[in-house]
Amino acid sequence: MTPAGSLLTARALHKAYGSTPALDGADFSIHPGEVVAVMGPSGSGKSTLLHCLAGIIRPDSGSVLYGSRDLSQMSDAQRSALRRSDFGFVFQFGQLVPELTCLENVALPLRLNGVKRKEAEERSLEWLERLEVGEVRAKRPGEVSGGQGQRVAVARALAARPRVIFADEPTGALDSLNGERVMTLLTEAARGTNAAVVLVTHEARVAAYSDREVVVRDGQAREMAGLA
Amino acid sequence: MTLLGPRTNGGPAGRGAPSREAAGPALPALPGSPPAGPAAWLRDLVMGLRFAASGGREGWIRTALTAVGVGLGVAVLFLGASVPSLLDSWHGREKARESLGQEHPPRPADNTLLYARADTRFHHQDIRGRLVRPDGAHPPKPPGVAELPRPGTMLVSPALKALLDSSDGRALRERLPYRVVGTIGDDGLQGPAELTYLAGSSALTERLGGSRIDHFGMEFVQRPMRAPAVVLVIMTCVALLTPVVVFIGTSVRFGNERREQRLAALRLVGADVRTTRRIAAGEALLGSLAGLVLGAGFFLGGRQLASVVTLWDINVFPSDIVPDPLLAALVAVLVPAAAVLVTLFAQRGVTVEPLGVIRNRPPVRRRLWWRPLVPLTGAGLLLTVSRDVGRADSPLNTVWLATGATLLLLGVTALLPWLVDAVVRRLRGGPVPWQLATRRLQLNSGAATRAVAGITVAVAGAIAVHMTFTGMQAGFAGAHARSSPVVEMTGRTDGWAQVRHALTLLRGTEGVRTAGGTIDSAVAAADDRGRYMDGSDFRVADSVYATVGDCDRLARIADLGSCRDGDVFFTDNLEDRAFVRPGARLNLDPPEGIGPVRPPQPWTLPATARAVRAKADDDGLPVHSILITPSAVDVGRMHQPLMNLSVRYDPRTPDAVEHIRTTAMRINPTLGVVARAENRHDGQYDSLRAGLFIGAVVTLLLIGAGLVVSTVEQLYEHRRLLSVLDAFGTRRTTLGWSVLWQTAIPVVLGLLLAVGGGLALGILLLSLIDSAVFVDWPVVAGMAGAGAAVILLVTVVSLPPLWRMMRPDGLRTE
Repeated sequence: MTPAGSLLTARALHKAYGSTPALDGADFSIHPGEVVAVMGPSGSGKSTLLHCLAGIIRPDSGSVLYGSRDLSQMSDAQRSALRRSDFGFVFQFGQLVPELTCLENVALPLRLNGVKRKEAEERSLEWLERLEVGEVRAKRPGEVSGGQGQRVAVARALAARPRVIFADEPTGALDSLNGERVMTLLTEAARGTNAAVVLVTHEARVAAYSDREVVVRDGQAREMAGLA
Repeated sequence: MTLLGPRTNGGPAGRGAPSREAAGPALPALPGSPPAGPAAWLRDLVMGLRFAASGGREGWIRTALTAVGVGLGVAVLFLGASVPSLLDSWHGREKARESLGQEHPPRPADNTLLYARADTRFHHQDIRGRLVRPDGAHPPKPPGVAELPRPGTMLVSPALKALLDSSDGRALRERLPYRVVGTIGDDGLQGPAELTYLAGSSALTERLGGSRIDHFGMEFVQRPMRAPAVVLVIMTCVALLTPVVVFIGTSVRFGNERREQRLAALRLVGADVRTTRRIAAGEALLGSLAGLVLGAGFFLGGRQLASVVTLWDINVFPSDIVPDPLLAALVAVLVPAAAVLVTLFAQRGVTVEPLGVIRNRPPVRRRLWWRPLVPLTGAGLLLTVSRDVGRADSPLNTVWLATGATLLLLGVTALLPWLVDAVVRRLRGGPVPWQLATRRLQLNSGAATRAVAGITVAVAGAIAVHMTFTGMQAGFAGAHARSSPVVEMTGRTDGWAQVRHALTLLRGTEGVRTAGGTIDSAVAAADDRGRYMDGSDFRVADSVYATVGDCDRLARIADLGSCRDGDVFFTDNLEDRAFVRPGARLNLDPPEGIGPVRPPQPWTLPATARAVRAKADDDGLPVHSILITPSAVDVGRMHQPLMNLSVRYDPRTPDAVEHIRTTAMRINPTLGVVARAENRHDGQYDSLRAGLFIGAVVTLLLIGAGLVVSTVEQLYEHRRLLSVLDAFGTRRTTLGWSVLWQTAIPVVLGLLLAVGGGLALGILLLSLIDSAVFVDWPVVAGMAGAGAAVILLVTVVSLPPLWRMMRPDGLRTE
């Protein structure tokens, strides 16, 4: 049974890599417009939880409900289609296509969804400007700074107006000043579009931007006391 | 040691570093000193060899790919280095077994024999035949023959034996009415597929074409390869080697990331940049050395195929294909060295730092101005040569031709990078896969262009070579198509009776419509004892042709008016032969200046002989001759009179020419038979066409393999990005299409250039041999189709690794 009004709910997720369990009965839920930080030490299973929630991997057991749909029962093609239309992603490394310009990178999810190039690029430019990196639109990722690149990645995650944004250590490769700016822009933009944000981080400073925190330890997710 | 950097034993500590004294108390000196120069090279190369041997899966794949590339290159070069010795062996075998006429013929003796040529042709295959008739008990024997065949028997080559034993050889068995008593050994053959026989004949005489000899083996001047043949050999080598070099260049880059990590780790512990480069070169060296061994294996295995290949009538024994030792040694040294150099070249602009690799090579702006100069210079050289065909076979012209063809061929590859850059720079928009592909090419088209350059050279070379041969073949076919269905036979005779007998036999042969014949010999003034010709030691008489034939036959040569047997005529164009006049005393056996002096055979040109107007012969040339009807002269007194028979046949009769050849063999086995309408080149070009196609396909496959390697390598480098794209929900087909476009764009551009360059080169080569330009468009389309097949193949083979890398594993950072 899903918590009232929740957008994405996971129940009793189990996932193992070989004989090593990554998730061992993890539960999770998030509401529209909510920012939830998933924290935990290295190897605790937080990235695996994010991948299961996003339908990137299928859990060994348990369920992931997105609205009324169970991701764990969907085919690979259905999950891919869902990710294209409803989810956005920000990663720590290697997320921008180096051959495309920043504008084309932002437009990529829209174009994968069938939006015409011109319209996709117009919408993308708006997002780039909103994230204060409009001036790098014609540059390639290798020609911009790490902070600018990460803002471009956030713009790309938001461009298709996803209902859930998955951010895996989005500031891991940035200095504190840039990291904070990226987090401010990400959370503000998400709240502005009523998108939920699943934020995987091990930094308390980054987690502070969230509405509540979930700690993953030994493959299980627990709500942090005293929050939300 | 340089692995720990140059700063040892109190050496400079680097720019800005404090001196040892200034830094504090002196440290104890490190023991020993680093090797330098060749010793450092050797140590680093050996270390590289060890890394290559223990470098894991990527290392072994890279070593294997390099070995295959180097092996193919070595095999091609060994084959090229074998051509001179191969031709020497081929001609040497002919020289050892032949003896058609000695300058000073021996008198009949216990150790002499009569020997004659008795060649024939059977269904487009030449058959070398020789007749022997020993004079005594100890005649010489040619190589490969233990005992000469007795009259009515013959020794045959294994290939001829197989043909005679087959159902196809039934008509040939009828033509060669000798009993097979054995086979000729390899020493007596030029190649394993040669069709040859040696028959004993009791009817052979000197008058019927036999030469008396006392030994086998003769010296003759070996004709050097003609310039166009040299060009073709060089072009073939260039067209074959370029893709191999490209393949090697691609394969040494395989697994670069792992290697660069290893080199970075070495830098971290103190290795300097030069050391890491030498170690990388050492890694490539293992593949090169393995390739050398593999190449020798390819060569030894491949040359076994030589026994089944016949090119330009040349078929050789595998054992005769031996590389020139000096050239082989050069190949053995230079090819591994070249592979090492390719590795070092590939590392230019790449700096391996302790914490990773910096690719500090600025994007290359490809300039156009010098690129067209290369093919244009080549075209210019070829044009110059083609306008001066008279020089076409001089050594200088051969060099010009080869240089021109090579420059034109390689010039096409110089244009390719610029063309790819110029085209992809202008590509905008399009669907996502197209955009991904064009953007990737805009960012770096080097790897793809390098690989495609191989396709370009191979296809351009194949088209040019193909065009040249197709043009030559079309020329031959046209010439033969215009020829009448006529078979001409020439050989020695002992008298007019034999001509009559021959004509009777020929007229009774299936498919023959008409048959006629003459006897030709030379006559001179009776008192002419010969004179020295310019630059010659021979005393040669001032002679004129005498043609013996019946009235019908002579009437074809001149306007005789009335004619009866016994009449004699002479053509009215013999102004420079004043001795030809009615009543003149002539000699039927004029001196030739060689051999024993023979007594004159006087004969009087009858006073009734009339001057008649000459007509043109079958070749359109006017006849200059004394025309004699058979009973007016005793042909037996003429010296070596030649019987010329001409047969017109019905071309619709199946195998009419074969029937005529069989009859010719019955008339006189030593007769030379020429069928004007028969195109002797058909079979040669069919095999050549097949060979070219197979070569082009193998080359394209090799390049395809190189493209697969570079594509998979590129995918591997982008694996994290592929995982991210998968996370977005990117369809596999989207990226599959992008791989297809990424391969297709440079390949299509390369093919366009190849077709253009190949056609230009083909046209120039055809103009060089004065042949009409003839483009075999199906072949051009076939080559383009093969290129398209490579694109598809590369894409299909790249899809499984692409899909494997589009998995979330790449997103895991822990």
